[in-house]
Amino acid sequence: MIRYVARRLLLAVPTLAGIVVLVFFLLHLAPGSPISALGADTGRRVSVRAAEEMRRVYGLDRPLPERFASWVSRVARLDFGESFVDRRPVLERIREGLPFTLALNGAALLLTLAIAVPLGVAAGGRPEGPLDRASGAILFALYSLPAFWAALLLQTLFAVRLRWLPLYGVSSDSDDLSGGRLSDLVLHAVLPVVCLTYGSLAFFARLIRASVAETRNADYVLAARARGLSRRAALWKHAFRNALLPLVTLLGLILPGLLSGSVIIERIFNWPGLGRLYFDSILSRDYPVVLALSLLGAVATLVLTLAADIASAVVDPRVRDGTVS
Amino acid sequence: MRAVIRRTAPRLAAFCLAALAAATACRKGDAAAPARPSVGSARPSPVSTAIPALGYVDESSQGPPVDGGTLSRRLPGDPATLNAVMQSGVPEQEVLQYVSRNLLDFDARMRLIPGLAETWSVSPDGRAYTFRLRADAVWEDGSPVTAADAVFTIRRIVDPKVPSPVFKSVFEGLESVEASGDRTFVARFREPYAYHAMAFVLPLLPEKRFAGRDFLRAPDNRSPLSNGPYRFVSWKPQREIVLERNPRSWGSRAHFDRVIFRVVPEDPVAYRGLVAGDVDETRLDTSLRDRAAADVAFAKCCRAVEYYDLGFNYIALNNRSPLFADARVRRAMTMLLDRAAIVRGLYRGSARIISGPWAPDLSAYDGSVVPLPFDPAAASALLDASGWRDSNGDGTRDRAGRDFTFDLLVSSGTTAGRQIDETLAAELAKVGIRAQVRAMEWAAFTERIDAGDFEAASLAWSASDPNPDPYPYWHSSQRPPRGLNSGFYRNPEADRLMEEARREPGENRRNGVYHRLHRIFRDDAPVIFVVTASHKFGFSNRVRGLVASPLGFSSIWPGPIGWWRADAPAASAPGAAAR
Repeated sequence: MIRYVARRLLLAVPTLAGIVVLVFFLLHLAPGSPISALGADTGRRVSVRAAEEMRRVYGLDRPLPERFASWVSRVARLDFGESFVDRRPVLERIREGLPFTLALNGAALLLTLAIAVPLGVAAGGRPEGPLDRASGAILFALYSLPAFWAALLLQTLFAVRLRWLPLYGVSSDSDDLSGGRLSDLVLHAVLPVVCLTYGSLAFFARLIRASVAETRNADYVLAARARGLSRRAALWKHAFRNALLPLVTLLGLILPGLLSGSVIIERIFNWPGLGRLYFDSILSRDYPVVLALSLLGAVATLVLTLAADIASAVVDPRVRDGTVS
Repeated sequence: MRAVIRRTAPRLAAFCLAALAAATACRKGDAAAPARPSVGSARPSPVSTAIPALGYVDESSQGPPVDGGTLSRRLPGDPATLNAVMQSGVPEQEVLQYVSRNLLDFDARMRLIPGLAETWSVSPDGRAYTFRLRADAVWEDGSPVTAADAVFTIRRIVDPKVPSPVFKSVFEGLESVEASGDRTFVARFREPYAYHAMAFVLPLLPEKRFAGRDFLRAPDNRSPLSNGPYRFVSWKPQREIVLERNPRSWGSRAHFDRVIFRVVPEDPVAYRGLVAGDVDETRLDTSLRDRAAADVAFAKCCRAVEYYDLGFNYIALNNRSPLFADARVRRAMTMLLDRAAIVRGLYRGSARIISGPWAPDLSAYDGSVVPLPFDPAAASALLDASGWRDSNGDGTRDRAGRDFTFDLLVSSGTTAGRQIDETLAAELAKVGIRAQVRAMEWAAFTERIDAGDFEAASLAWSASDPNPDPYPYWHSSQRPPRGLNSGFYRNPEADRLMEEARREPGENRRNGVYHRLHRIFRDDAPVIFVVTASHKFGFSNRVRGLVASPLGFSSIWPGPIGWWRADAPAASAPGAAAR
């Protein structure tokens, strides 16, 4: 087991290095610069001389390899530099958005699983049954609703017409988010969480359904039924547990997404999270912020994929033994 | 005036102009400085005296203004900084105008009026500008606004280590700036220039707060010291900025207790916020305005207002390209764009065709220069005459082995630009020219435009001041990489007129030069001049006293400072938040 983990950790090092190089050079070689990105709202162009000065201020007059070397050496010391846009430390800007994105995506993932798991197991228990067909149709319909359209519709209905829920933001007034304000935050999160959830339901529920539908006819499930277990107990205790394996692997890929945030939902609901920060930083070519967020995403993906692999090894002896990959 | 969507109906425009005249007279009494500017003998008169051809919005006579309440404004994005020198976009300007007074201001008729400076004068050689600051102008801590602050601010702008995208270019010709006393300073330029004075529509920074600090990272960049009607209270990044009335405000009256700026990135969401009462104003695009016109909820709470600014749309043609080097071809391009159809279809009437490089509200614009007509037959004849014929019978015009095909670039952020491009491309296809519309993301788009690396591109001109000087954008000496003449336009006669106008101190004579230039631009057609379209906003009926000029709501004095809240006394207890 330890050798397995060590091998995976060693493999992660070159992967990370590759990501770092790729992201840095893709970003800097892409068309546009922090100076050409100015004026997106006003249309105003800066004079040639002012542009030259700004290039020097941002250090963009230095050769690319030199910039790369200095960036890597700073990042190695966990110094992510400061934002080109507002001259604040990059980590400060990330720290501001991280809790909001984690809270929103975490709540959405939990809600998704809370609905998708029972639905998937029930549908997989009787493939082609009425519940399977009905849930399949509804889930695919939800899956195909565009998020921005559904979000605007929900806002108009629940926030403008009925006024049951806040339209956007994370708090109702200018006071800070303190302990007593948690219920306020929850109210503000309802619509964005719903919007993030309905689309991913289909994905999870159908995956679990397929997995359960496969295992329900396995010999051990039939044996359990033959020993007199109820259909329900056989399904949940035996079929579902074994159907969890693909879900564990999948979560390793899904969980890093908790950090990245959803640009569309965060913009429509004025959610001050990392998705908006990432999007705005790319548009304004705020290289230090984009690089830090990309690196954060890459590390999270590596770590959580590794965690998922280890979890698979823990729950499935065959993975440990190397009998299946 | 309720729920008025302003159109170019002459009767309404006349009413608004009359109202404006009265209002300007009123405002002089309370807001203008005690002394009028003293005028040097050879002082260029940079002010525009044009009678606007298009309508203003003016509700300032619907008073008397009421004090109290909260104004909730919408910002499309988070400001990058609240350092006036380093500001770069709309969000910064919208917030800073409440906390930072300018040395000079524009009034609603785009004339320069005193601000922090009570008087200013120009030396006989037209190079030195002397300003005298008001004695009662103070920062919110009670200390006076001094000439040292002005000198510090201008020196930071020209400092090569300071990014100042807005002000850098207007001070590029600065030779020196020196204080002469506590309240007087002199800024000296290397050359006389008719529009130097507009550079001093400039907010000041308090020198003492930056002394010994790294200018780019000073705490004041995120919590500025006010010398204006409001002072800074708090800023939650990506969420909101709160201001409150500055008790030490001088020379002007702030009507609201508090001003809150909410960051709402998406226009359709901000519209819902307006109807739900969360924000008091938001911009509307054409589709949202149409929606508002049919929306009962909007009609109950809000009104749409509309004004024309100094911006316009155009399609840049690269005059260096073999396709567009010939003026006959460029004229043909203009005559193949059905601008009347664009006004009707895309803008539903709220736009006007232009024939030159200015909006019709500028006095440089000569209204007698009739736009080239939409005339595909005449355009075809021009193309034939210039040698672009379909010689190989493949349906596309060609000359010397090159087909007449090109990419028509557009920034992906604009729907209007894209539709204008599609209209042109469809018409071009009928006469044997293939134009491929390509949308590009803004930063990548502008990089190619600024470098002159394009054949044709859809662009929007915008102006934050009434300086009509075409030199930086059209003079042949300003072609890339030296300047911003990215279409590589070159016409010796136009060059000569542009140089002449820059040196001409008399406004009427200068306008005469511009009018001759206008005619050359129309006939030379360096670009396809398209239209100037109105800007549309939705405002809550709770907000009163709107005044818009061709500079918009914000680049004028008092601008939004003059607004008040109709329901103020009922909505707010003294000292308490209204919301």
